[in-house]
Amino acid sequence: MAPRVFEETVLPHLDAAFNYARWLAKNEAEAEDVLQDACVRAVRFFQSLRGEDPRAWLLTIVRNTWYSRVSRRAASTETALDERNDERADDCLDPEEQLLQQHTIDRVRAAIAQLPVDYREVLVLRELEGLSYKEIAGVIGAPIGTVMSRLARARERLLGVLKLSPRETLR
Amino acid sequence: MNCEQIERSLDAYVDREIDVDAAGAVREHLATCPSCRRRVAELEALGRLVRSVPPYPAPARLRAQLAQPRAARMKLPLSRMVTWAAAATVVLAVGAGFVVRRSSTSAADTMAEEVVSGHVRSLMANHLFDVESTDQHTVKPWFLGKLDFAPPVVDLAANGYPLLGGRLDYVDGRAVAALVYQRRKHTINVFIEPVQGGRRVAFEATSLRGFHLCHWTRDGMAFWAVSDLAAAELSEFARALQGN
Repeated sequence: MAPRVFEETVLPHLDAAFNYARWLAKNEAEAEDVLQDACVRAVRFFQSLRGEDPRAWLLTIVRNTWYSRVSRRAASTETALDERNDERADDCLDPEEQLLQQHTIDRVRAAIAQLPVDYREVLVLRELEGLSYKEIAGVIGAPIGTVMSRLARARERLLGVLKLSPRETLR
Repeated sequence: MNCEQIERSLDAYVDREIDVDAAGAVREHLATCPSCRRRVAELEALGRLVRSVPPYPAPARLRAQLAQPRAARMKLPLSRMVTWAAAATVVLAVGAGFVVRRSSTSAADTMAEEVVSGHVRSLMANHLFDVESTDQHTVKPWFLGKLDFAPPVVDLAANGYPLLGGRLDYVDGRAVAALVYQRRKHTINVFIEPVQGGRRVAFEATSLRGFHLCHWTRDGMAFWAVSDLAAAELSEFARALQGN
């Protein structure tokens, strides 16, 4: 395998991979570590990439890298990192702060961040990465039915939290 | 169709992930149902809102690092790649030493023992799968990032040996891929790892403690198929796997 081919195949999807890692980890530094590990793995697994879509392939590696880090840490601290992160996200959505969050992007980001990771990742893969249901099913290793129900629940929760204004609904 | 049935497909409708007929049924319903129409408008608005959130871009530093030629990347100070490379070198060195100290025959015997133990363990502990799927395209990516090699995964349902799933296993202290196939009521475990110490084997069939084993190497990977299946049938399975 020529090194150039790896770069040409994987680098175009680096932003997508980072965005996904960033939403999984909900933390910039952690996401960088995950992406760096994932890229090392991607280099080593590159030969195994045959007909698959390289983006979905890279996202799968990012996900597995993230989950192996989480489970390693959970084993050593007995607290699932993800739960802690989710609690932190809940904190930042307390009513007072919610009032202060005038900016739409902050408001939506905070709402996505407080979703459980299973819901959050399908939403991010669908809306921010534009993956099809089938591609998402491949990345998270679950049936399409699971993708659909998680996506529906993610949206249900977001609608509950965000309380769209009539102006936003009618736009 | 009533609202309840329609509501379940509204997400897929908004995502344009349902077929033409189902979409037609939804549209028909929407024409007469204000509450479902409101729901669709909400979902569409939510989609616009979420998509308006800019993605987090990869840090330039990381991109620059990866865009470098591979040789230079390996030498970068503070890069984890160096640690990985160093670790890999140590593993290789240890592996090589191991092979040199033992004759290849005794190493093969050890492997046969280990593989049979792995097979028995998987059946007794009721831990056949980490990933249960008959779809090779689900099982193969599952191993990504869990092993430092990519095991070939093929379904042999057409040959009468359906793939049931896969799991991580340990053989002789090394993490290996285990694929699980079925023939009637018999379970077949296939253990796969990179060839150790350059030992190439075209095809070997042995028996141990009432189990049959087939072993071969191919494209740098070593395979062990083990089962209580009749020797002839296991060989047939192994040939089918080799043929793919």
